Amino acid sequence: MLKYLVKRILVFIPTLIAISLLAFIININAPADPVEKLSNTADKEGAANQQSNATKKIKQDLRKKLGLDLPVFYFDFSSLGDSDTLHRVGDKDHVACMKELKHYYGNWDDVSDYFLQLDKTLKAHADLDLNTIHSQQTKYTKNEINDLITKSSFEIGAMLETANPEVLNYKRNELEEIYTNYSFLQPIALQFNLALEKYDKMLANQSSWKSYVPSITWNGSKNQYHFWLFGDGEQRKGVVRGDFGFSYIDSQPINTKIWSKVWISFSFSIISVLLAYLISIPLGIYSAYKKDSRFDRVSSIIVFVLYSMPSFFIGVLLLYTFANPDTLRWFPVSGIQDPTLFNPDWTLSQKISHRAPYFVLPLITYIYSSFAFLSRIMRVGVIDVFGQDYIRTARAKGLGEGSVVLKHALRNSLLPIITVFANIFPLAIGGSIIIETIFTIPGMGFEIYNSILNSDYPMIIAAFTIIGFLTMVGYLVADILYALVDPRISYK
Amino acid sequence: MEQNFSFKKYAWAQFKKNKPALFSLYLLFSLILIAILAPFLANDQPLYCQYKGESFYPAFSTIGNPNKKVVFKDGEELQFDLTDWRRLDLTSVVWAPIAYSPDGGDRYNREYVSPLGVQRYKNSDNEIVELPSRLRHFMGTDKIGRDLASGLIHGTRISLLVGVVAMGIASIIGVFLGAIAGFFGDRNLLMPRIKYYFTLLGLFLGLFYAFGVRKYKLVYAFSGGNGILELILSLLVIVAFIVGFRKLSVLFKKGWLAKEINVPIDTFVSRGIEILNSIPRLILIITISAIFVRSIWLIMVIIGLTSWTGIARFTRAEFLRIRELEYVQAAKSLGYSNFRAIAKHALPNALAPVFVSIAFGVASAILIESSLSFLGIGVPDDVVTWGSLLNLGRQEFEAWWLVIFPGMAIFLTITVYNLIGEGLRDALDPRLKS
Repeated sequence: MLKYLVKRILVFIPTLIAISLLAFIININAPADPVEKLSNTADKEGAANQQSNATKKIKQDLRKKLGLDLPVFYFDFSSLGDSDTLHRVGDKDHVACMKELKHYYGNWDDVSDYFLQLDKTLKAHADLDLNTIHSQQTKYTKNEINDLITKSSFEIGAMLETANPEVLNYKRNELEEIYTNYSFLQPIALQFNLALEKYDKMLANQSSWKSYVPSITWNGSKNQYHFWLFGDGEQRKGVVRGDFGFSYIDSQPINTKIWSKVWISFSFSIISVLLAYLISIPLGIYSAYKKDSRFDRVSSIIVFVLYSMPSFFIGVLLLYTFANPDTLRWFPVSGIQDPTLFNPDWTLSQKISHRAPYFVLPLITYIYSSFAFLSRIMRVGVIDVFGQDYIRTARAKGLGEGSVVLKHALRNSLLPIITVFANIFPLAIGGSIIIETIFTIPGMGFEIYNSILNSDYPMIIAAFTIIGFLTMVGYLVADILYALVDPRISYK
Repeated sequence: MEQNFSFKKYAWAQFKKNKPALFSLYLLFSLILIAILAPFLANDQPLYCQYKGESFYPAFSTIGNPNKKVVFKDGEELQFDLTDWRRLDLTSVVWAPIAYSPDGGDRYNREYVSPLGVQRYKNSDNEIVELPSRLRHFMGTDKIGRDLASGLIHGTRISLLVGVVAMGIASIIGVFLGAIAGFFGDRNLLMPRIKYYFTLLGLFLGLFYAFGVRKYKLVYAFSGGNGILELILSLLVIVAFIVGFRKLSVLFKKGWLAKEINVPIDTFVSRGIEILNSIPRLILIITISAIFVRSIWLIMVIIGLTSWTGIARFTRAEFLRIRELEYVQAAKSLGYSNFRAIAKHALPNALAPVFVSIAFGVASAILIESSLSFLGIGVPDDVVTWGSLLNLGRQEFEAWWLVIFPGMAIFLTITVYNLIGEGLRDALDPRLKS
């Protein structure tokens, strides 16, 4: 048994590495750029030219601080055309665009020449002075001039974010027309023409074969995954020491955030699973015992209907019926407490009585989703057991029905129930995203949902890893429970 | 009589005895019919109409030629998809049963018009009057005046398609991996060392050329609409590479490289299932669909790629049992290839439990898709699904019709699949018969 346990726990390690790596790769490849969000310069509407060098510097430092300028893993598996030091370039949209250009045209130097020149063109907009132009070109109003400059910078900003040749050509023609018509844009046009030259050169020199040659690059231990796992020796301690890093949204440590939320999801899942067991085990046994009776048929139909009902539908229906000013206003609509009334210094019983009405509707939704499933498998399990020889033997021995059902049948029909028990652990931390979103419960599910929407990668990766770990622990606990309940199962 | 006896007939006879399951099957057929005929059941362009002496079939032009244009002698232009046909002075007209399209807002019935309340429209004399009962919104409208009944009818397509595509992908992967894992186990898949290495090499290169080189093509295809086609092409590339490299390996089959080694395929597959089962599935799907292109096809693919484990486990268990049976042993001893033994002898006998698991899988795929669109994730804004309709209802506490009808539609479809699954299980498993 001990050997079996050790073996099972050893398997945890590669599985956890696989899960966390998967989460890592998904998140790193995601198009959203956390640095943009963090540096609060999210005005992306062509305002790239207004981004001063100072903000760029801030972003660069932030990227460095978060370790986002490092490669993802110990090695890269990509093509000759792809492998490079692109992750050091700032803005994530620009990196994506350069990567795509490079993918198409292969030649890194030409691509970067073109891209830098286009970036320069964008910066040239900042040097244009509205008043000077206006004093020279009196036939245009200030507004017209300003509009043109904005349009030009907007188009070039867009060109910096696309690699689609059709779009590029379209924008190119559009801009060339503007520049020939309005001579005061001359300084920009000069830079732009240089960029176009580089673009044509890039097209002429293209070596797209590079994208077809696979290559493996070794990055060494200075990579994001290594730092996440073992820490960087400075601020981050690494996951092996129990540190999941900092949230991108509010810079709080992930651990603190999880601990402050997890008890909510945990209490919901524990209470609901216990209640679900309390209802479904007797129900399952009774309807199996009275198989094909009217009670069995009616309860089976009800349970089946509940089983097919999506939990979000039930949740919304409950809200509509019991938390709606137009119908019944028995329970509050959302949250777990009234922020104006709630006092953290209350005693436990006061807290519970205050929160109880908030818990009712979500709990019903939680309970019903596991209850229907549990009663169904319980009923099938007990029916199966009732057909076994040892039940007949027990009856033949002259044992009372109560003893037959509770001592002989119950224990043997517990096996399927245990399987469900294994799901409690992941549910406790994952909560139920959907139920928590419907009722706006500030638990882990809602937290994870929000972190996905706000691309808070450290939180998502932590959630994946912890839930993965707990799921495996759940399976292991279930397997041990199997052996305890059923002596025929042994692990050697 | 005895001669005509076959397992299929027996199973069908058993299935027919199960009235709820049979009824569900008929319901499923009608859902499929609704999905196919959706443009003719709910369309804001009439099926047939007569205008200025000419006959038109506008609803039929929505397929293939949506912005068809007609110019009359008096100079009036009629572009089919832009015209408000209700306001034209039509001499005779046959409307679709629901005379609204799912995406077109009815501007006289905005702000959640109840199916029971007053509904208005502007007639040809520019007066705002009550809607004639033929054109009423039977199930009400949403905030911008879109007809709910029409949304539900067109949403049927998405829901059924999600079930079919996602479970199609899942069953291909699941049956394939489960079959080879169960058939060969850890000890029986022998191949020359060089062939083993070349297979792995082919797999890696195939993955590289299928997804590395073609990544932009795939991304653009998914945001465009023919993502599935490009994905199939990518998969063909992988298969071609593996097969090609296996054939190539014959050239190097010498000495140490030719020695047969044992491939622990069962361990590979079981570990893979274990890893995938440990990943929180809903969170994985939400993450992927929230951060990449919003596409209904992508969601189907992701659901398919993450839900094959159950099918693989069932198939593996069946194959573990079947490979010891006499007829498979006989096929082996006759010298048939492994492929033939699997595909022709073992697989047909292993499929029964797999079908059951697929039927339940379809129900859960539909559930996941509707949960995602309920959360507003992954599905583009202009695609109307049952889940997204229900989500609209959540935001407005008075619009009960936006909750009841889509919710019932989802519930009905899931129940249908679950009942069919139960019926199949009872019909295909003779052990349950007493």
